[in-house]
Amino acid sequence: MIGGGRAQTQQHVATLSLTDFRCIHNLDLVLGTGITVVIGNNGQGKTSLLEAIGWPARATSLRSVNDAAVVRAGCDQAVIRSEIVDADRRQSFEAEVRAVGRNRMQVNRQPVQRIRDLHGLLRITVFAPDDLQLIKGSPSGRRVYLDEILGGLAPRYAAALHDYDRILKQRNALLKQISRDRSAASTLPMFDEQLVSAGSEIIRGRLRLLDRLSDPMINFYRAMGEGGEILATYRAEWDDDAMLGSGDAENIEDRLRTAIERRRQHEIDRQVGLVGPHRDDIVLRLNQMDARTQASQGEQRSFALALRLAGHAVMTDILGSAPVLLLDDVFSELDTRRAAALVCQLPVGQTIISTATRLPEDVEVEQLLEMESGAVVVR
Amino acid sequence: MASYEGSVQRLIDEFGRLPGIGPKSAQRIAFHLLKLPKEDAHRLADVIVEVKAKVVWCKRCFNIAESDLCSYCADERREAHLVCVVEEPKDIVAIERTAEYRGKYHVLQGAISPIEGIGPEQLRVRELITRISGEGITEVIIATNPNIEGEATAMYLANLLKPAGLVVSRIASGLPVGGDLEYADEVTLGRAMSGRREL
Repeated sequence: MIGGGRAQTQQHVATLSLTDFRCIHNLDLVLGTGITVVIGNNGQGKTSLLEAIGWPARATSLRSVNDAAVVRAGCDQAVIRSEIVDADRRQSFEAEVRAVGRNRMQVNRQPVQRIRDLHGLLRITVFAPDDLQLIKGSPSGRRVYLDEILGGLAPRYAAALHDYDRILKQRNALLKQISRDRSAASTLPMFDEQLVSAGSEIIRGRLRLLDRLSDPMINFYRAMGEGGEILATYRAEWDDDAMLGSGDAENIEDRLRTAIERRRQHEIDRQVGLVGPHRDDIVLRLNQMDARTQASQGEQRSFALALRLAGHAVMTDILGSAPVLLLDDVFSELDTRRAAALVCQLPVGQTIISTATRLPEDVEVEQLLEMESGAVVVR
Repeated sequence: MASYEGSVQRLIDEFGRLPGIGPKSAQRIAFHLLKLPKEDAHRLADVIVEVKAKVVWCKRCFNIAESDLCSYCADERREAHLVCVVEEPKDIVAIERTAEYRGKYHVLQGAISPIEGIGPEQLRVRELITRISGEGITEVIIATNPNIEGEATAMYLANLLKPAGLVVSRIASGLPVGGDLEYADEVTLGRAMSGRREL
């Protein structure tokens, strides 16, 4: 892996140039390698700036919107250009996001054919105001949390997730047909087998990742000044044991096969796949109780921050290079004590913080950008 | 949206129905045709009529053909005990370019895809089974695409054919020749590793 084993190397976005990106008409920036604070009132383009910085990592918006929504009203396309530095390597990225039609991307002036060719170009950890949903929200948010880290670590997980999605759609279509016409079941074993193969790769990755996340997560939670004991456990409701640990990774294929056999009729009746990683969840506990319902709002925020910080630490550890940290308006949601604790826990590396309010005093700001109506105000 | 008069708009609409052609391309092709000399346009029209009149499916392998049998099925020098199963006629052309294969072909005309309502009955699977018993075929190479649908089709055929005592193999997927390992993406390289062979 690029940069592997060199713990000091810090990947960072060195320059950013935007045209017609959301409310930003034209913007050229040189970004620092430490903490950059973007300050401004709501609606002035702070989040848009973070969104553009993170674009090369996901090849799409960090906010789950239609890409075309980032094109400034009345324009044909938005253009993002950035330079990403990793150790002594400097790469250029360019994306043209079209209001109508296909987007175009280039790395080092070469067209990007497949999204997976962008792997490793830029890695990011994003803290967003709605991270509270990691704790309170539906299981899908927690699955995405694990899958995004896995995808950043190895492209084969991204490929397995992509395949799995397709297998699930084909298999669900087949289950619908079988409920009308039994003879369609002759091809079900072929999709079962592919589900087992892609599904166990995903579950194995998630179990091993969760195992690695556990210690840093507990440490970060304590460091946030919280007293209780937190625990994160992988739950697969289709399995007999339901709660899986990293030791269960070895025979996950057999377990999936057995579960599919056992729930065959149920799946046909319901016309939807009920077995596999798309049904799984991470159960989060505080003092052995369900964190969704038993933790206070403040404790839930600390828990969510601990999950993000742990993910960041594990990625840094495995890849030997810290992802770029994007904190979108996170401090306004925290009380003074937790905000100060988060500042102490911020890892080294490029960090972009957007905020509408004052930051805790001990943030070591390298660069301050004030935004107004989509432009940086020079002070 | 404003449209053109009569036949011009009908031409644009027809091109717009073709795969991979959007409204703007359809318009560009239509105006290109308008500017062509009459004989050039007629040649295109004639070949479309001719292709629909002459070209049929090969009665044996379901490749495109201009008589009962396609050129591969009609070629007596090809090994008759060996058949390579592909999804589409264009896959035959790709394999023929290798000049490595001297057996017969069978075109399924698609792959198993429940989303599109395609199961084994919609493919030329029954015809393949009939051929195997009728033509003394002993070995089958499955060359469907290395994607979800192609793999499902390959597994289905293998389950069907192996119990009959046939030699069944699947083409390997992996690295492009002439490329550097360094530049191979990890997914392809991973598959190539798991499909490695002894030297």
